[in-house]
Amino acid sequence: MFLHELKYELLVCLRVKEILIWMIIFPVCLGAFFKMALYNVYEKDIGFSTIEVAVVENSPNTALHTVLDNIEKQDDAFLKATYTDKEEAEKLLQNKEVSGIIFSDAELTLTVDGKGMRSTMLSDFVKTYNDRQRIITEAVKNDPVSAQAVIDELSKDISTCTEIPLNDGNPNYYVQYFYNLIAMVAIFGSLTGLHITINNQANLSALGARKNCSPTPKSISTLASLIGSIIIQGGCMVICVTYIKYVLKVDFGSHLPLVYISAFIGGILGVSLGFFVGSIGRIRTDMKTSILISVSLLSCFLSGLMVGNMKVTVQKNLPWFNKINPAAVISDSFHCLDYYKGYDMFITKIVTMLVISAIFMLLGFIMIRRKKYADL
Amino acid sequence: MQIFKAFMKVLKKKLPSGLIYIVVFLCIAVPMALNGKESEKYEDSTLKICIFDEDDTPESKALIEYIDKKHDIVSFEKDKDILFDKLYWEEADYALTINKGYSKALESGDTNDMFGCYRVHYSYATVYMETYLNEYVSSVRAFIAGGQDSYKAAISAVDALSEETEVEIADNSDPDYPERFSSYFQYMPYILISVLMNTLCPVLMTLNRKDIRYRTNCSCVRPNRYTVQLFAGSTVFVTAVWLILMIAGLFMYGGVFKGNAWLAVLNSFIFALVSTSIAVLVSSFNIGANGVSLLTQIIGLGMCFLCGVFVPTAFLGKEVRAAANFLPASWYIKANDMLDGSAVFDGSKLAAYILIEVAFIVTIFIVALLIHRIKYNDSDSLDG
Amino acid sequence: MERTVVKIDNLVKRYGELTALDHFSLEIKEGEILGLLGPNGSGKTTTINCLLSLLSFDKGRIEIFGKEMTPTSYDIKKEIGIIMQNVAVFDELTVYENIDYFCGLYINDKAKRKEYVEEAVKFVGLEDFLKFHPKKLSGGLLRRLNIACGIAHKPKLIILDEPTVAVDPQSRNKILEGIQELNKNGATVIYTSHYMEEVEQICTRIAIMDKGKKIAEGTKDELKRMTRNTETIIIEILDLPKAIQDKISGLPHVYKADYDDDKLTVYCSGGKHNLLRVLDLLQKEELSFGRVYSELPTLNDVFLEITGKALRDKEE
Repeated sequence: MFLHELKYELLVCLRVKEILIWMIIFPVCLGAFFKMALYNVYEKDIGFSTIEVAVVENSPNTALHTVLDNIEKQDDAFLKATYTDKEEAEKLLQNKEVSGIIFSDAELTLTVDGKGMRSTMLSDFVKTYNDRQRIITEAVKNDPVSAQAVIDELSKDISTCTEIPLNDGNPNYYVQYFYNLIAMVAIFGSLTGLHITINNQANLSALGARKNCSPTPKSISTLASLIGSIIIQGGCMVICVTYIKYVLKVDFGSHLPLVYISAFIGGILGVSLGFFVGSIGRIRTDMKTSILISVSLLSCFLSGLMVGNMKVTVQKNLPWFNKINPAAVISDSFHCLDYYKGYDMFITKIVTMLVISAIFMLLGFIMIRRKKYADL
Repeated sequence: MQIFKAFMKVLKKKLPSGLIYIVVFLCIAVPMALNGKESEKYEDSTLKICIFDEDDTPESKALIEYIDKKHDIVSFEKDKDILFDKLYWEEADYALTINKGYSKALESGDTNDMFGCYRVHYSYATVYMETYLNEYVSSVRAFIAGGQDSYKAAISAVDALSEETEVEIADNSDPDYPERFSSYFQYMPYILISVLMNTLCPVLMTLNRKDIRYRTNCSCVRPNRYTVQLFAGSTVFVTAVWLILMIAGLFMYGGVFKGNAWLAVLNSFIFALVSTSIAVLVSSFNIGANGVSLLTQIIGLGMCFLCGVFVPTAFLGKEVRAAANFLPASWYIKANDMLDGSAVFDGSKLAAYILIEVAFIVTIFIVALLIHRIKYNDSDSLDG
Repeated sequence: MERTVVKIDNLVKRYGELTALDHFSLEIKEGEILGLLGPNGSGKTTTINCLLSLLSFDKGRIEIFGKEMTPTSYDIKKEIGIIMQNVAVFDELTVYENIDYFCGLYINDKAKRKEYVEEAVKFVGLEDFLKFHPKKLSGGLLRRLNIACGIAHKPKLIILDEPTVAVDPQSRNKILEGIQELNKNGATVIYTSHYMEEVEQICTRIAIMDKGKKIAEGTKDELKRMTRNTETIIIEILDLPKAIQDKISGLPHVYKADYDDDKLTVYCSGGKHNLLRVLDLLQKEELSFGRVYSELPTLNDVFLEITGKALRDKEE
């Protein structure tokens, strides 16, 4: 009985090409767009890149030239100077072609275009230059003998910091957009889950009414539909992860099988959300669809799909919400795998997903438990 | 007019589910705008720094004091997982260990391995702090070379490095169009596309159902007129939705718009029409309710990522930027960038951008007309 | 005496203010084809849905095969075949798969199911359409598929809720014949319709419903005896003066004469040569007339007599 139902559930799901196709097209397109849009972002935004700066000298400042030339000679030079006059420099700054203007007089002064990190770095450079100039001037004044030692000391290229990575994970912050994309596909699995109740409830469809007249108990046929939908959605999740990993070549770290498991469980979460919303009373189907889409998008938004640091903002204001927000839990599960050495966090996330799914399913079953309807 | 009226009737039926989208996207738009641009950059250059002092000498204390002058010092337990969380959730920007033997190293000049720094991912904060610390150590070494003992040198370095440098911030932002508010308009394309496609497409798809179109084609209404009336009905509805978004904007702006803000309002209205034409085009294909929802996200999110709505345009690759020129949102963003001061303001350029958006509307609309003609009217000769 | 298959006792169902079923009772014996006849909105479908335990009801009791029907009476449900008013099949499945699916809800044994499904296909004559999807079927074929899905498992009780709505005459006859054949093979049938011709044609017993009440019950002949009408004479005639209409009403055995839409309808009760008498009178008054025909009483007359309104709206 159960297998018969399951067989046909799968058959129907596979032939309702609409959802299936969209569930595959969706991550394929968006994944490609993300990849295109974010490909460069990593180097340009959070990663370290060269800061363009205009230099305006009142009188030729050879010391400054030497320093700047030395910096530019380095491999990862953080500064690139353009020597020009004041007017031109201001134009460049306005057109965003340079991030700041260094004016060279007795001391260096700086004009920057905003308060960003680039400005900070520039101002630190200028400050350091001034500081050094001061130290050297003072040294020469106090003890000309040791002055050369002071200068030598200052021009030594030193590296005082040793980096201690906290994890072996992908340092690319933007991989989280792909985590969120997978979470979105999983949550949109709720659309797959929505039709379960519709096809099994007598008051929602003629098919449901017919099924209700058969000797197959509703719990069995509903369970078969649920499992069928989970299998289908799980398949979509597997395709989605495979595509992102092997076609878009996004680095998921070293736990790929667990990524698949986590995505699959995410799919279960999505389907059970849809099942739950589907079983709420007699709301029209298009209404239920809007509710699902809205909930899904809200969940994804708060998990940082659109604006990357949304999750951090949520963490600051409503930390508990990140622990239960479905999209956040799903995307966090991938991120845990990549970032944490142990599996504790990952297991916590997986358990959270399963508990949320179980609650949705339970509530769904409770709501469809009623056998007779006051109205059809 | 009949079709226009029918449009309104169907719309009324579908309005409740449409309202959900409007409310939800408002819920998304406002926090997005509030959260948006500011946190993309560092508001000011004060970092939250966590320091573990394992050397515990006067020299190391001097360093901590120096750091404290400019930055905030936060303290956490020295546990990798906790640190990781704090760094990941941006409760600290940087975690630093002053290794044992720091003061000795200062004296000897063996500067490698003085500090340990933790990272989650590379960031400006990491690079900045490294430079900052190197600089400090250099200065201390310089003072030592100048004949001071290490503690004295550490103090002198703090003094020397604490002198202020004159930094002028060129402000080309527009007081009538503050950054916080401009980010509301920055994210508008996503909101408009999502809301309008999700609400409009179901209505249009009902009216475009094959049997209804065929039935209507049997009447004296010309197919082009049909599409035009659909477009007219859509425009009325779209204007209403857009007004809701603008009213929400008034609240965020804190009063009536001024100056350049009006240009942003105009720009957003044009983009609302762009979204309308996309919705009209999409609903020419009967892709079902779920198809619309998912396609909306593909178009909305995809276009917004590629056109620099979510990720600043400056960070996009050259090829992507070139390709994005074929998408209407990128012209919207170019115009908005000009208004909020991220690009140089140029009135004629702005007009050109808006005209390009209009061109998109016209093009998409013509394509929709053509598709409707081909789809619902095989023999054009009947069309008089 | 035959076994009672269905027993509906004093059923009351309200939708808010509206009373859909008002103390409705009905018994159906084994081997019967019971026709449930009534105008649209008279409560036929509500009765069926209550019977199937899909709808809750306010009062009353329903027994099928001697046991109370509840939503979990799976042993009872096993024996029921249901053909709904709305076609309920999966668009995504083919004809064969649909029948197999629904049959599989009742029958686990694969070999047996295969046999049953094939029989059902043959029974409704869809052999040539096995691989078709429902969307490709014409209205009549779709209805036949709907029926095949309901009867493939060889139920003892078959419930058909207006199965012939919007069906071409050819398919309709095929369906009606099929129902009679099923009945011959031992199934008890409940058949709802607002087409009295169909009900008259196949039903062994008929219950007439109106406004949630059973207003008459019996065999076709029993019901017809309930009306005093024995003959209805219809004459097409132009400009019949009221005086003459009254005269016709006054003729012996005539209890009513209506003139409407250039049609004179004379209702007679008993007597012989009623038609001749009416025509004679018209001739004497020198009125020319067109088509003349006379009808024996129909179920519509019964309905009309009891409720004062026609079973179906004129336009139908």
